[in-house]
Amino acid sequence: MTLHRLIPVILLKNGLIVRSQLFRIHQTIGNPLHTIRRLSNWNVDELILLDISTEDFHDMRRDDLQVRYLDNTSVGVLKQVAEISFMPLTVGGRIRSVDDMRARLSAGADKCAINSEAVRTPGLIETASKAFGTQCVVVSIDALRKTDDALEVFIDGGKTATGMNPAAWAAECERLGAGEILINSIDRDGSGWGYDLDLVRRVTESVSIPVIACGGVGAYEHFPQAFQQAGASAAAAANIFNFYELSYLYAKKACLDAGVSMRPVSLGSQWFPREPTYNVDEENSRIESRLERARTRRFPAGEDSAPRKVRWCAKCVYPSLSATPMEFDQSGVCMGCRMAESRADTPPREWGRRKHILVNIMERARCKTGSRHDCVIGVSGGKDSYFQTHYIKNVLGYNPLLVTYYGNNYTPAGERNLRRMAEAFDVDHIIYTPGVELLKKLNRLGFVVMGDMNWHNHIGIATLPLRIAAQNRIPVVVYGEHGYADLCGQFSMNDFVEWTYRNRLEHFARGYEWNYMVGREGITDAQMAAYQYPSDQEIFELGLRAIYLGNYVPWDGNANAKLMHEMYGFEFGDLPFERTYRRASNLDDMHENGAHDYLKFVKFGYGRCSDHVSKDVRLGLMTRSEGVALVRKHDAVWPSDIARWCAYVGMSEDEFDAIADTFRDPRVWWMEDGEWWKQNIWESKPLAHETGLKP
Amino acid sequence: MVTIIDLNIGNLQSVANAFKRVGSEVSVARTADAAERAQILVLPGVGAFERAMDRLNEHRFGPVVRRHALERRRPLIGICLGMQLLADRSYEHGRSEGLGIIGGEVVQLESHPPVYRVPNIGWTAVKAAKLSPMFPANVDGQSFYHVHSYHLVCKDPKDVAATFDFGGLPIVTAIERENIFGVQFHPEKSQDVGLNLLHSLLLHIKSTSL
Repeated sequence: MTLHRLIPVILLKNGLIVRSQLFRIHQTIGNPLHTIRRLSNWNVDELILLDISTEDFHDMRRDDLQVRYLDNTSVGVLKQVAEISFMPLTVGGRIRSVDDMRARLSAGADKCAINSEAVRTPGLIETASKAFGTQCVVVSIDALRKTDDALEVFIDGGKTATGMNPAAWAAECERLGAGEILINSIDRDGSGWGYDLDLVRRVTESVSIPVIACGGVGAYEHFPQAFQQAGASAAAAANIFNFYELSYLYAKKACLDAGVSMRPVSLGSQWFPREPTYNVDEENSRIESRLERARTRRFPAGEDSAPRKVRWCAKCVYPSLSATPMEFDQSGVCMGCRMAESRADTPPREWGRRKHILVNIMERARCKTGSRHDCVIGVSGGKDSYFQTHYIKNVLGYNPLLVTYYGNNYTPAGERNLRRMAEAFDVDHIIYTPGVELLKKLNRLGFVVMGDMNWHNHIGIATLPLRIAAQNRIPVVVYGEHGYADLCGQFSMNDFVEWTYRNRLEHFARGYEWNYMVGREGITDAQMAAYQYPSDQEIFELGLRAIYLGNYVPWDGNANAKLMHEMYGFEFGDLPFERTYRRASNLDDMHENGAHDYLKFVKFGYGRCSDHVSKDVRLGLMTRSEGVALVRKHDAVWPSDIARWCAYVGMSEDEFDAIADTFRDPRVWWMEDGEWWKQNIWESKPLAHETGLKP
Repeated sequence: MVTIIDLNIGNLQSVANAFKRVGSEVSVARTADAAERAQILVLPGVGAFERAMDRLNEHRFGPVVRRHALERRRPLIGICLGMQLLADRSYEHGRSEGLGIIGGEVVQLESHPPVYRVPNIGWTAVKAAKLSPMFPANVDGQSFYHVHSYHLVCKDPKDVAATFDFGGLPIVTAIERENIFGVQFHPEKSQDVGLNLLHSLLLHIKSTSL
């Protein structure tokens, strides 16, 4: 018989994956190509790609990322997706005609999902099934359970009511020639409460074609219910597959354990290895052409004549075009602000519940035999490292192993803070220092390849704690805050998002895995061993999880710093930074707030000061106008540590400047009379709430 | 080098990507002349039988495929509808003549709800009917991705390489006769097991210099 299917849904908005809630709130997760590669690693049963953009255009020129789009259209994205997916692919969104379907089928889709247009023009179902066969035509139905418990079909992304009943509409679709129904619950979207089983059951009972259930999954145990309690042929979900490592495999395991007939759990595709294989010639020519542009001073941003359209969050100072994936809501407020509001609104009782969840995770990790530590904490020696260690060891009473990736550029105060940890907390501490020649090479390569000399730091911090945990059979790694959830509201509080390989490669490493560097400047595999992540097999067998403490305990960086200073003698920076006003952040690397941050300004037109201001405005520590003044003072500063970095790696400051300019984003910068220009937040129109009007 | 016939009706790109992934060079034949020179010919296809036959005839592919398989005895691989096209005829929406390379007819799959629904979409475990280079020794129980409403009934049971069970009936899902291979499922969409199949089939073709 035909096996039941477990289907990840990728929601695309303007070319990027989003997390969705109630069809209204969208938070950007990242580039679909990174996520789909992971799905190919795991032999997933099928994939559904739904484009919820309102226009067929996206612009994602990010010269610092390894993965790039070839064009600006959703069919273009689909072509790139097809190259890396060997699973059945259903594509939906913005399909209005047989021609739209033909374009998607020839770009790599196997089936097309039609939704609003099927309601408006039911004849399309008939025409399409005649043209491509019924198996190609999936009708996607979005249903809302209203306050009186009645179910109604909505179209246009949940905006327009139709007066139709979902089960009756599904039956009509089958009559017209649909081969499959995708039933999605609007009110369960992003809720994590599980499927609306009554809705799914009504639909499966009204048709004889296969039905895919979607909407509401928040736990792996919800998947088998769709089959066993509602008669679905396939269970689908979007959000949950973005939150946890190996989520697809654990979801499948939950179905198999419940007795659902499915293909077995599969790890490590033979034809699709996890670590990307780079086309060395192509990459070499990319690097060479950058160096050539730097030598001839021909910069992409200087040659582009399209209008620049940066805007800023109405509440904080975050720009719409940023290093982090960012989404604004209808009031022009960024998701970072929205998530900060939801954190601030979290009542103490909820924090109590979260602490309880944390203790459960930690108890499972506790070593009962004394053969190992209870958990690993990745520490840089900063204020957050102190707080994590304080909380795990001295508040909860576990025995952590501290692991530090030492990048050789500590500030004096940062260095003292780091070395003091073993004594201040009486814990074991591994400080791993790569050879300094290797570090210099990785600094140079990171700068030239992706405009970031600290690539080695990011990937080191994102790898070493897990690697050491896997080697020592320690099942839990504790990180502090989820940086992007905090800064740009990438996830919601209820997601309890955990560490993933996908997130590490896509966001920490910008798509450049350790093997990218092998062979460059004479670097060998063995030299890059510390940057090699544990295999999926190791992670699955050990049940290794890396969690963010920020999901379970209230987190305030400023307050933590003060508390850690009082309790453990944590030191603030010796000298003020040139590019920001905060003194307790990023002491582990003298360039992080200097040369590295200057490069962010060169790329995107804003720097760490904007990050710090945004966080402090959200916390109510300053007004937006005060913040804007600080941004104006710090964001454009050429920091003095650039000279030190250039001397460290053997590069002239002119060369540094020219290579940096090749990374300027043409959507932000333009050149006039040999000078770089951009729009500035202090020149933008006064915002509604600053003039006393409601945004 | 694998040559894929472009009937402009289906997802040719996925088939090309899959052959590339298992290490083969791929070319696309848009004309009968291009197909005439092929060493390994692949006939993919999704959609309706009659429409696909019209396309084959329109571009004079029919005689080329027959010559390739029956006279030159070069390897021919039919995938999904491409396998059905090799039969004598189909009863999809009336009656249409096929290529007549493999004796048999294409008939509708009978549904037995709630378990056996038509179209048969999804992963179906297959059972080997004979030893075939397409499948590893332990293929039984491995599932491949199927999407179809019609199926092939072979005249000669010896042509059947694998079947699956649908409501108690064995349904043909792979065929093999000397240099002629066909699968009802989509190896290019069956992840590792599908890519393994293409890989071992190509190895077989190479080692036996078909």
